[in-house]
Amino acid sequence: MSVDTSRFGEALGDGRTVIWLAAGLFLFVLEAGAAANFVVGLLIDIVLAIPGVDSAGFLPGVKSAVESIPTLLSRETIPNQGYYDGSSYQNTFLGLAPAMAWAIRATLVYVYAFVLLGWMWTGYRLYVEQYRVADWTPRDDVVDRFRSHKWGIFGLLIVFMFVTMAMFAPALGPTTVDQNMRNSYGHQIDYWDSDSQSVETITVGDANLGSLSQGNDRNIGPWEYDDYGRFHPFGTMQNGRDLFTFLMMGSRISLVIGVLSVALSASMAASLAMTAAYYKGRVDLSMVLVSDAIMAMPQLLLLIMLTTVLADTWINEIYSGGFLLALIFAFTGWTYMWRSIRGPALQVSEREWIDAARSFGQRPTTIMRKHMLPYVTGYLLIYGSMTLGGAIISIAGLSYLGLGVAPPTPEWGRAVNLGQDYVTTGSWHISLIPGILITLVVTGFNALGDGIRDAIDPQSDSAGGEAAGAGAGA
Amino acid sequence: MSETLLEVEDLRTVFHTDKETIHAVDGVSFDVEAGETVGLVGESGSGKSVTARSVLGLVDEPGVIEAGSITFQGDELVGGNWDQHRGDIAIVFQDPMNSLNPVYTVGNQIKEALRIHQNLRGREATEKAVELLEDVGIPDAARRVSEYPHQFSGGMRQRAVIAIALACDPELLVCDEPTTALDVTIQAQILELLDELQREEDLGVLFITHDMGVIEETADRVNVMYAGEFVESAPVDDLFTEPRHPYTRGLLASIPGRNADGDRLPTIEGEVPTSTSEPTSCRFAPRCDYAFGACEEVHPERVRVGDVDTDHEVACLLYDDEFEETAPEGGVEAHGGESA
Repeated sequence: MSVDTSRFGEALGDGRTVIWLAAGLFLFVLEAGAAANFVVGLLIDIVLAIPGVDSAGFLPGVKSAVESIPTLLSRETIPNQGYYDGSSYQNTFLGLAPAMAWAIRATLVYVYAFVLLGWMWTGYRLYVEQYRVADWTPRDDVVDRFRSHKWGIFGLLIVFMFVTMAMFAPALGPTTVDQNMRNSYGHQIDYWDSDSQSVETITVGDANLGSLSQGNDRNIGPWEYDDYGRFHPFGTMQNGRDLFTFLMMGSRISLVIGVLSVALSASMAASLAMTAAYYKGRVDLSMVLVSDAIMAMPQLLLLIMLTTVLADTWINEIYSGGFLLALIFAFTGWTYMWRSIRGPALQVSEREWIDAARSFGQRPTTIMRKHMLPYVTGYLLIYGSMTLGGAIISIAGLSYLGLGVAPPTPEWGRAVNLGQDYVTTGSWHISLIPGILITLVVTGFNALGDGIRDAIDPQSDSAGGEAAGAGAGA
Repeated sequence: MSETLLEVEDLRTVFHTDKETIHAVDGVSFDVEAGETVGLVGESGSGKSVTARSVLGLVDEPGVIEAGSITFQGDELVGGNWDQHRGDIAIVFQDPMNSLNPVYTVGNQIKEALRIHQNLRGREATEKAVELLEDVGIPDAARRVSEYPHQFSGGMRQRAVIAIALACDPELLVCDEPTTALDVTIQAQILELLDELQREEDLGVLFITHDMGVIEETADRVNVMYAGEFVESAPVDDLFTEPRHPYTRGLLASIPGRNADGDRLPTIEGEVPTSTSEPTSCRFAPRCDYAFGACEEVHPERVRVGDVDTDHEVACLLYDDEFEETAPEGGVEAHGGESA
């Protein structure tokens, strides 16, 4: 329409959009390699997970080609793994101490992430001011209410930092999972031997054995160097591996399983709630019965049983068993979400515009999608956020029990389990730090859910968190 | 005689709840012809809206059309055959606040109907939507088409709802209390608009309201509904000059201004009963000033009254020849309008 185009033209002529787009491009170029790496790596992992596909093909070649694209926030650009040759540090960023080099990289990662967040927010504001046809929509009020909701903002910050951690996990760790854990005897490092006053070479596996944290006499605590000049921000684990690297990679698997299971259960819950609310009566009743039956099963026992029964199947090999976990969480967890959004869906289904659409012959699926779904997406966000916290606890709980994600894939719950014997000793950090992280992240997700709920529905009582308990399954 | 669009025969819509079965519509029959307005009037809970929803096939579980037939242009609709006539029957709901989806622009919602019924998309559909908004008297339609319902006033919203109904290119328009949520001046404008559209497009209109004043202005024929039944059916002039059923008389008497001499507006005491079983008596009897012994025992049949050529029917024992002996002397006429 003519009104719109003139508006667009005016806005484009303003120049702010151009600056915004340029800033976006700049931000993307800085991390283009990492983005490509992430997508390609994920795709290749999925392809390799299909039974019968041989890894000896061209895929690893593609992977290494993508890995060679330079990026700002990478271990190659800001290296922290170097050694002291008696007079200065070699191979570290600007010759700084490994701790400093690592700290600079980690700080830059978070600065980048927050700049990106600011960029997206600016883009949204720009869209609202310049391009959107309507001067005001109900969503503006929701955004305003959320912005003044301190607890919700706290949750958002925690969740954002957690997601950043998962996204940038390889760049954040002082070392890599492959070098430090999976293939520690295949990598060698140089270090300054103070006894012989010379640079020696050792395999990472042997170095790990020399930096165990197993109590008061053998301990590499948080923010310490080990005997081989390696810096450990969170100390080492009981087997000498780097706890920080372990936790960073662990956040990735927690997030992937969590998001996957919540997305699956949310889509199941949403489509079933739409169907139940649209057709009502017997359809609704049968769904209530099915969901009650599923809810009546003890979720933890079911999880343990299914992970044990399906342990040797191909499905358990995808993503170290994470995919299977996500499926189990989704199929046991949709009932809670379905219950929660069935009410609002039934409410919407009584509105007259639904009847109006039916009267002029709109298809049921279109009515559900166009005229009902927009009214429950808010609730999906709230319950999704809270269930995600619950899923992360469940995953950690299962790995703590030795189930779920298979070792050596890092998982937070396993770190708690591994450090359990040393809680009363000098190596307290192994259990405590992942425990605090789990608590913080789950609190963050719940706070975010609270914030979204109060923003969407100002009449809701933020004190009575009936939804808060829904997620914590195991 | 013009073409008969809609024929409803002995329609029975019931709601099966856990406790009981509610007979919301209990054996009503009426026809709507092209260019004709049929009024349906009654109190809240008398079954007017359920009748409208039955005609459109919008009765939700636990409600079900138990018996009777609804034919539209000769095709039987009961039994799930509404889809072949979707769009031929359009509905205008009571509350324009609720019948427009607040998250889509008005134009969008008109285009949704246009897309289904006239297969128009994109620019064509937008142009047609603007045209429709102009037809229903919305000024500056080209700008208004991309506005949201909350930017419209109540009267304009109802005009937009009518535009959506027209987008389906209907033969029959069902108006379920279309003016109840509007103030009086706007109400008059909307009625005028509906009247105009009806004449232009030769629409059949089923007009539902509880407002006798509105019915007098719009309808050609009036059916008075009480507890799921038609207690009186007559051409509008006949009904207003010679109401027969005590309930109709009560309704007419409670219109402000019709009996200027009384100091208080007469009302009908009590409220519409919920019909949970087959009728064995007159359902209005408990509230009726003229009830006599037989009213509690016999369910009145519809009988023809008045001149042979006026199609005036009433379901009241006072007019049933069988009960002439037992009925109070002179019936309603003896009491005249005074007590009513």
